[in-house]
Amino acid sequence: MNNSSASFPPPVASTDSPAARATNVSKIYGHDDSEVRALDDVTIQFEKGHFSAIMGPSGSGKSTLMHCMAGLDSLTKGSVSINGIDLGGLSDKALTQLRREQIGFIFQAFNLIPTLNAKENIVLPLSLGGLKGDASWIEKVIDAIGLRDRLEHRPSELSGGQQQRVAVARALASEPAIIFADEPTGNLDSKTGGEVLGFMRRAVTDLSQTIVMVTHDAVAASYADRIVFLKDGKIAGEMFEPTPDRVLDYLKHLGE
Amino acid sequence: MFRLSLKMTLARKGRLFLTSLAIILGTGFLAGTYIFSDTLNSTFDRLFSDVFKDVDAYVRSSSFVEAEFGGEQRGSAPISALETVLSVPGVKDAAPDVQGYARIIGKDGKPIGADNGPPTFGGIASASVAGLWNIEDGRLPVGPTEMVMDKATAKASKFVLGDTVRINAQSGSREFAMVGIVNYGDVSSPGGATFALFDQPTASEFLLKPGFVDAFLVQGDGTVSDEQLTSAINAALSPADKLETITGAQITQETQDQIGAVLSFLTLFLTAFSFIALGIGCFVIYNVFSITTAQRLKENALMRAIGANKRQVVVAMMVEALIIGLLGSALGFLSGIGLSRGLSAMLNAFGIELPTTGLTIQTNRIVLTMIVGTVITILSAILPALRAGRVPPLAALRDTALENVGSVKRRVTIGVVAMLLGAGAITATAAGATNVLLGIGVLLVFAGVLIIGPGIAKPVALSLGRPIEKLRGVTGAMARQNAARNPKRTARTAAPVLIGVALVTAMTVFAASVRSEVRTTIGDQFQGDYIVSSANRQFGGLAPSLALELAAIPGVAQATGLGFTSVNLDGSGKFVIIIDPATASGLITFNMVQGDQSKLSANGILVSDTRALAKGWTIGSTIDVAMVDGTQKTVTVEGTFASSGFGGSYVVSRALFEGTLNNLFDTNIYIRLTSGANNDQVYDALAAASTDKGLGTLQSRDEFIDAESGQINQILGLIYGLLGLSIIIAIVGIVITLLLSVFERKREIGLLRAIGMTRSQVRTTVRWESVITSMFGAIVGVVLGVVMGFVLILILADSGASAFSLPIAATIWILVLSFIVGVLAAVYPARRATKVDIMQSIATT
Repeated sequence: MNNSSASFPPPVASTDSPAARATNVSKIYGHDDSEVRALDDVTIQFEKGHFSAIMGPSGSGKSTLMHCMAGLDSLTKGSVSINGIDLGGLSDKALTQLRREQIGFIFQAFNLIPTLNAKENIVLPLSLGGLKGDASWIEKVIDAIGLRDRLEHRPSELSGGQQQRVAVARALASEPAIIFADEPTGNLDSKTGGEVLGFMRRAVTDLSQTIVMVTHDAVAASYADRIVFLKDGKIAGEMFEPTPDRVLDYLKHLGE
Repeated sequence: MFRLSLKMTLARKGRLFLTSLAIILGTGFLAGTYIFSDTLNSTFDRLFSDVFKDVDAYVRSSSFVEAEFGGEQRGSAPISALETVLSVPGVKDAAPDVQGYARIIGKDGKPIGADNGPPTFGGIASASVAGLWNIEDGRLPVGPTEMVMDKATAKASKFVLGDTVRINAQSGSREFAMVGIVNYGDVSSPGGATFALFDQPTASEFLLKPGFVDAFLVQGDGTVSDEQLTSAINAALSPADKLETITGAQITQETQDQIGAVLSFLTLFLTAFSFIALGIGCFVIYNVFSITTAQRLKENALMRAIGANKRQVVVAMMVEALIIGLLGSALGFLSGIGLSRGLSAMLNAFGIELPTTGLTIQTNRIVLTMIVGTVITILSAILPALRAGRVPPLAALRDTALENVGSVKRRVTIGVVAMLLGAGAITATAAGATNVLLGIGVLLVFAGVLIIGPGIAKPVALSLGRPIEKLRGVTGAMARQNAARNPKRTARTAAPVLIGVALVTAMTVFAASVRSEVRTTIGDQFQGDYIVSSANRQFGGLAPSLALELAAIPGVAQATGLGFTSVNLDGSGKFVIIIDPATASGLITFNMVQGDQSKLSANGILVSDTRALAKGWTIGSTIDVAMVDGTQKTVTVEGTFASSGFGGSYVVSRALFEGTLNNLFDTNIYIRLTSGANNDQVYDALAAASTDKGLGTLQSRDEFIDAESGQINQILGLIYGLLGLSIIIAIVGIVITLLLSVFERKREIGLLRAIGMTRSQVRTTVRWESVITSMFGAIVGVVLGVVMGFVLILILADSGASAFSLPIAATIWILVLSFIVGVLAAVYPARRATKVDIMQSIATT
């Protein structure tokens, strides 16, 4: 079932709109007494060409914010736009198409389809849309992750680090407006994690991509240009050009 | 532990229900068969108890012929014996009874009742209290032009008093005035049969032979017991009349037993199909338990880690099986009540009309169904449960449940060995060994195929999926890989489809061959232009006088009748073909090996060459023949003919029965026109003398051959219908497997949805996986079925050459339907797959 983009109005994207914007977003679970405010009136935007990190203690709402901005979860209040396109009111089909074309995903684990080889996994979002993609771009991405000799391998034949690099390449393949990464190095040792993060950093610096990463690891967060701190569903602060030490200090201060 | 397992089982209600579904359907069919046949039996038992309720003694001819396929034909009783019976002390009254063939022609000119439906009786209506009939309206018939009819038939066919009614019987087709409507005791019409009744002389002459009846119904005056009355009558009867007397209870029992024997054959037939359904259900359960064992690897490993021993893990699984078995068979029995109605309706649709009143449910059937269902479920679960017990406490933590296929080579080797052994057993049967060996052979071949299945599932699924990948791109590719990723599961899911398709194909191939065999046989034997045929094979048919009438029509060069009857031949009841040698020449042609068919004399017989060889008969051998009325004759073998599968083994001349009381009917009348006759004109004249009077069916030679060979389709249709439930169970099996796979691949589906797979693409993937699985079963099943059909023909071919014909169109249809089965089975699992919650499945903890 190849949905051609012709069946939808072309997304109205303008160069001056941010990659993603959340305006007065609230996410409330449960009712009345058992009500939990996972996000409480959050307004934030992520500019193009930046590598941002979202940090915060467990239950601060960082993953919820990412899922809501990526169109995976619904909002209780507020609005979210990706590349200038308001997600509110989009049908499941349109939302799916938007995720396929405008958003890249990197998850902590289980990123790849076990029955497809590395190359097929990388171009999967394009294939699902019935597209070939920009061949030279894809070649560039494959070269960048350095797994050209493993393209025919199934995920089970790749190491954890290699799998995550394939996942990053998959997120980049369709040249999305924004890539959301949810603890992408959570399952990796620090050396392998560093390789993956370095690669993500280069994707932003050298290939002009936009990445938003949720993490609780200060070292991982220090690869970003900007860190947004969340606490109790609210934005608690920001930090630019972070270093691991400054991040740890800030987190300590945040925890008090 | 037991309580824990119970709790764990009940916690998964959805899966419990789905697994039970396979057993529900299987046991439902079994229970339906039981209930249906019990109801049928008790209906007939009640019917005959009603019929003979007031009969204390029953006087009938003591000579009879056992029919070759069950039942008996009995001689007649002279009406003169009635005086003797009436004079016996203790007899209050006695009534003569005739149970002849009489077909009432409806107001639309068509015979009333189905050709293979309930019988159409002719009989006697008398004023005697011993008679079976009570006048409801009008009066009793008197003389050769009056009749009465049973109430239900009169009502259904809208006949009223004073109407003229045409009736066909042994002595021809006549018109009568209807002077009364009668009731059968209290019921209006027993078992859907029709009754035309006359006074005794008319009934005897029209339905039987003047001066003879079938029996006397005797009512005692209550002074002596039935047994005493019976022996008193027996003592009074003249030995020359060859009569015997039995009590009312005995005739009731005898009739019930005869019907029971016919019904038990039907029950056996249905039971065979319900066991096929149960066997397929077994497979589904085995598959579900195997998958869940694999999926519960972690759970079982955890149980072992926290201290459960092997036995406890196995017991937990067995408890689940026990619950499913009990629940499934209980629900199965309930659904069997509905299914028994369905069976009745289906048999009706295929021309087997059986009266059922009420619903007979026997407690022991409930118990039996429960036991069969539960035992089968537990047996199917044993292997997976033992496997679950072998899970080490520190089992690898895997996201997907993979089952090891083991060595493909070993699998294929064992499978091929089993198939070769099976083929050997089948060949031995074909060469004359016992049929038990055939059963073992077929089972071995099936087992071999099923053992090889997982070994070949991967390559076959991959090549079946190739065109889908071409057509559907990445979703097709994923469907293809999903079907191939767990070969054991795919093979086990396809197995029920395989078995179902193999049986359907085998029956189709066999039927096609029988059809072409029938065509050849009839085509060779019958050379005329037209044929008048009666569909009544066992009871009644065309009056022998009709052939003479038709022969006299201008433009008809030749007309000859062919009939069947049973005689005692060489000590046992045999079907014999009756022809008129003088008029049969050139119309009915037996493929003579020795002798001349047209020279068959009144006391001659033609025997098939195989039978002659078996019995050591040659030209000139003599055979003793006893007829239904007790007449003994000796016939001489005057020729042998090449036996054909469906032509019968003995041929005699009609003249053999001259002067006997054997009821003779023609089944077919073959007609040749004079050359240059006006075809249409002669056809109209033939129709006027036959079909226009409700006598038989008039067809051209081609039409007749088509119709005869087409009859096999009716049986085939019934078998398809009965296999239908097995196919449904196979579909349920695919549905359950897909659901479990979808459940297992939740994270994968969630990921795909997150990175941009639309719901309809998710559906496509599941659908094509389902189609690949069902097509895998169907293709292997078709191949196996064609081979089985061929073997069946080889074994059943009665020495005569059997044509093997492959029904290509039917085979393509089977494959197309299997494709549709795959699509249908995927509907619900695909919908479930689209409902996978993206958030939940990708959530990292």
